[in-house]
Amino acid sequence: MGKKRITYEYTHDGIKESILRHAKALRLPEGWGEQVAERVAKATDKWIDDKDIVTEDDLQNFICKELEEISPDIAFAYRNHDKII
Amino acid sequence: MSDLLSIATIILAGIIQASLQLGLGGLVLLYHSSMGRHQRRKTRYLAKSYIWGAVAISFAMACTGAFLIQNYIDKAYRQEWMVVCIGMLIACAFVMLLGYFRDGRGTELWLPKSFSRFVTRRAKATNDNVEAFSLGMLSAFAEFPITLAIYFVVANCLLNVQFPLLAALLYALIVAMPMVVLKLCIKSGKNIIAAQKWRINNKRFVKIFSGSGFVVLALFIVAFWVM
Repeated sequence: MGKKRITYEYTHDGIKESILRHAKALRLPEGWGEQVAERVAKATDKWIDDKDIVTEDDLQNFICKELEEISPDIAFAYRNHDKII
Repeated sequence: MSDLLSIATIILAGIIQASLQLGLGGLVLLYHSSMGRHQRRKTRYLAKSYIWGAVAISFAMACTGAFLIQNYIDKAYRQEWMVVCIGMLIACAFVMLLGYFRDGRGTELWLPKSFSRFVTRRAKATNDNVEAFSLGMLSAFAEFPITLAIYFVVANCLLNVQFPLLAALLYALIVAMPMVVLKLCIKSGKNIIAAQKWRINNKRFVKIFSGSGFVVLALFIVAFWVM
């Protein structure tokens, strides 16, 4: 039996909110977190625009690459939050 | 066996159990998810409840073990049980060294994926102190296959000391020590990513420390209990 595929609809706000959550967890100033989240969400919008479907891994890699340039700590949290236990 | 030796064994067992990573990993997860959603004060209370949950289950398991040994294992056979326990401790040492952490950059543990996803989901959804307390209990209890031998050793020692409840409490507090240290680090201004980076960078050290700890405990029992 094949593995069941789960699909999600991409939203700008969803990406922004998840980055913001990581920024808050790191106790970064809220305004700075907001700016980072908005910038990365916009870049992701542009990247995803010409694609019909992307995998979760591709999306995560792109977001992490963008975050890496602005805030390596948020990038680390974003990449590793599901690898803690 | 003297009181002093029993207490020393309990402390050693506590230190080894404290070096296991599920409880600490659960707390890191709880901090990470709670700090993104709640006020700092609420996160502090959740972390405190989580730690008390881990203390409570360690205390309860040690006391239950002592009760079971006293009532259901004949005194004449306790030495044989200790020999079985030594075998289990050596097996745990191998497990720690070879398979405790999954390969890869993170600190993923030996647990089935579905279980670690469940704990992660619970940590993300934890909103009140009771949930945090039970998550702490669950995290401490989930390592039972590895901690069984430790509980047996501690329970046996509790039967030989003058104040078993105090000794059990001491053991439970030692088990919770890494979580208390993490809490103090966060309180002093360090962020949770620094703690997780430390865990990743020192994964090998933790493995060797715990693995050799199990061997030392086994040798300790051979020297002072069996021979």
